Amino acid sequence: MLFTGIDIGGTNTDIAIVDGDVLTRKVPNDAGLRGALDSLDIRGRLAVSTSQPLNRLIAAPPASVYAITIPGPGLPSPGSVAGMVNHRGDILEEIDPAAIRTALEEHAAEYLAICGKFSVRNPALEEQVRSIALSFYPPERIATSHGLARLDFPARRVTTEVNARVLEIVAAMVRTISGYAQDFLFFKGDGGLASAGAVLRDPSVLFNSSPAAVALGARYLTGRSDCLVVDIGGTTTDLVPLRDGAPCMQDVRIDGKNAFIRSVQAESIPFGGDSVIEAHLSPRREGNPMAFGGGRPTLTDALNRCGASIGEAARSAHLDPDRAAQAVRAYISRIAAGVRASDAKIIVGAGFLADHLIPEIGREAGVRCILPDHAACANAIGVAVSRVSLSLRVHVDTGRRRVVINGEPVHLHQEMDDDELVAWCKGEVRKRALCMGAPEEDVADVSLAYFSAYDVIRYGRKKERIADLQVAITPGITVDAK
Amino acid sequence: MTTGIVYHPAFLTHEQHPLHPERRERLAYTDDQLTEEGMWEDPRILRLHPRPATREELSWVHDERYLNFLEQSSRTGGVIDLDTVIPPGLFAQVRLAAGGGLVAGESVMAGTVRNAFAMVRPPGHHAGTCSGGGFCYVNNVAILVQSLKRKGCAKILILDWDAHHGNGTQEIFYEDPDVLFTSIHQSGFYPGTGDATEIGAGEGTGYTINMPVPAGSSDEVYQYLLAEVIGPVAEEFNPDFIAVSAGLDNHFTDPLAGLALTAGGYAATMAFAVELAGRLCAGRLAAVLEGGYSVEGGLPYTTIGIIAALAGMDLSGIRDPSSYGPLFRRAFNPGALRHVQETVRLLRTVHGNIWHCLS
Ligand SMILES: [Zn+2]
Repeated sequence: MLFTGIDIGGTNTDIAIVDGDVLTRKVPNDAGLRGALDSLDIRGRLAVSTSQPLNRLIAAPPASVYAITIPGPGLPSPGSVAGMVNHRGDILEEIDPAAIRTALEEHAAEYLAICGKFSVRNPALEEQVRSIALSFYPPERIATSHGLARLDFPARRVTTEVNARVLEIVAAMVRTISGYAQDFLFFKGDGGLASAGAVLRDPSVLFNSSPAAVALGARYLTGRSDCLVVDIGGTTTDLVPLRDGAPCMQDVRIDGKNAFIRSVQAESIPFGGDSVIEAHLSPRREGNPMAFGGGRPTLTDALNRCGASIGEAARSAHLDPDRAAQAVRAYISRIAAGVRASDAKIIVGAGFLADHLIPEIGREAGVRCILPDHAACANAIGVAVSRVSLSLRVHVDTGRRRVVINGEPVHLHQEMDDDELVAWCKGEVRKRALCMGAPEEDVADVSLAYFSAYDVIRYGRKKERIADLQVAITPGITVDAK
Repeated sequence: MTTGIVYHPAFLTHEQHPLHPERRERLAYTDDQLTEEGMWEDPRILRLHPRPATREELSWVHDERYLNFLEQSSRTGGVIDLDTVIPPGLFAQVRLAAGGGLVAGESVMAGTVRNAFAMVRPPGHHAGTCSGGGFCYVNNVAILVQSLKRKGCAKILILDWDAHHGNGTQEIFYEDPDVLFTSIHQSGFYPGTGDATEIGAGEGTGYTINMPVPAGSSDEVYQYLLAEVIGPVAEEFNPDFIAVSAGLDNHFTDPLAGLALTAGGYAATMAFAVELAGRLCAGRLAAVLEGGYSVEGGLPYTTIGIIAALAGMDLSGIRDPSSYGPLFRRAFNPGALRHVQETVRLLRTVHGNIWHCLS
């Protein structure tokens, strides 16, 4: 089995081809996504990690997003229109199409987010608003909230606004990549893979995927399941802890608000190979190192002045050797301090400059260091060897004869007891993962992350049963690459 | 400052019997509503974890023999009355519910939160010194009040607005002038006590104020009683802490009672209590959940109303679904207010020589 992984970073795109052997390549981003794909003869499974455009977009000043909300009774919400879905998924109040058209006319914006309370139990009202909004916005500039599948209307709203802003750009990427490989997969911020279809329903899953990629790559290259990955990039150096074979996940807040976006926990230190050297090493990037045609001396140039031969090393020559040595020492002690603070016993180096810096960092921090082959492209390798991860949040209401899976209702055909229900949901998540191209062994292990069920009693009789559960195939390394 | 909510999934597990009105389904929809409103993640809300009340804390209120009976019956199962059976494992459940009230009071007193709501099950206000009943086993609010006294609160106001009279709480503090027990409840209804003429005894005379209201009483009746009786008496009493027995069974959809409070009425009632606490006792207020059996129709909206009022949130969207209109019109009694004005006149005669504001 052959795997191709692509990680589009801030300045470079890393490519890895894994088929027992590992082949890696780095191409500058100037050529764009097409440039990277053109340089490849894609065979086997293609997985793409492309969080950079999203990260930039999310960090940028907020674009104009209009949010139409359907809060119903309870806490009010800005942008509210009439309509109400209750906790059972029943529509108790209808929307008012004329009022929605007026609201859309009065609020010109670039993107539209539609978010109703309890839409995850019944998406009908959100869908109705969406179909009205299609006369005002192109479809790829509208996001709805029900596919996020979780209760918490304010967090869903924030996430839907993010999705409204990034959907178009992700859809464009899907079209580009599909031209090269029909069944490619995206690499998500949690370290798992997902089909383009799944990502278009919730593009926020692509956010900040690079730390997950490097963590998985380091694990694959070293077999270590407990270590600290030190990923030396151009702008930053990221310290990513790996515990029991997996990176730790954390919630991402957007403008200080809760959202349904998670990413791998990493300490990002604002120094990397492109950090400029003025009087001292500064936490800033101003283009490429001189060795790569840039105009300002950087940490990379300093390494060249200390004996390395990176890029066109001669171009680094006008950096004063003492200042160069001082900058390298300052960098190493800053990173070593971060390593010491982490309590790690072993560090694994990754990134373009790992060969030149990791052994010194290890020595200064007093920890063992491992420098695997292909450390420079560990991120792309992680993308290549990852596996499909998928979570289904299922709400079952026998009274309504309704099952809602990740916000999409399905008719309930037969009564099931709790055990049968769990088995059915596990089967469903397996089926969907197999559809995305996962091998049988990768979907063998489905975890039941949550289960809660109770009887509905009316007039002293048990009438119905309501169950909520979550089944998941967790991220990891695909069995075919082991 | 934040509002604490004491809640634990274990509160969902108590079940006398799967078909009993006081069952786990009761809080399930409410939990859904709170989660969907983002309450658990809201910076104005702090989730507090209950601890089991100790045996000693229970004995501040309850007789040792009664507690022994409860503890022993909990091993095998037992019966208090037709509505109140003792399922195996009950004792741990009631300790956790009472501990929920204690944590609410402790967190307010420690300044961790401004006020708190203990969303506990099973309820407690029908439990007396040596008796349970009406789905209640130990008196959560009374145990809370006793702990507040031990923390230095000299005077405590209890506001019990459950649809049923809080006979247990009344009995426990009947002769205690440091605890002013006020209750609004449906007249001529379970448990049968709570007449306006029950005013306390001994040194506690005048420190029990019962405000029975007729079936169909709605928001304006509660606002009237708050403005005419509870507000003025509270000011005169000048408490150090306000404890609320927050029943949710006065909602117009409740199947076990006949009152007609709306979700907006709950929010306004709690907002009044919060304002009172802010004026009289630095905001110190803890509410303990009592009854409330409109598990699906009313509870999700009334609970949000109560929490939003406690936390000082925007109450403009607190309301019932508009499709409930016919149910409200069926429950609402437009003559209730006039009836209650009569009751207040009676209260002025029985309490007028104790409370200046009522004379
Ligand atoms: Zn009651």
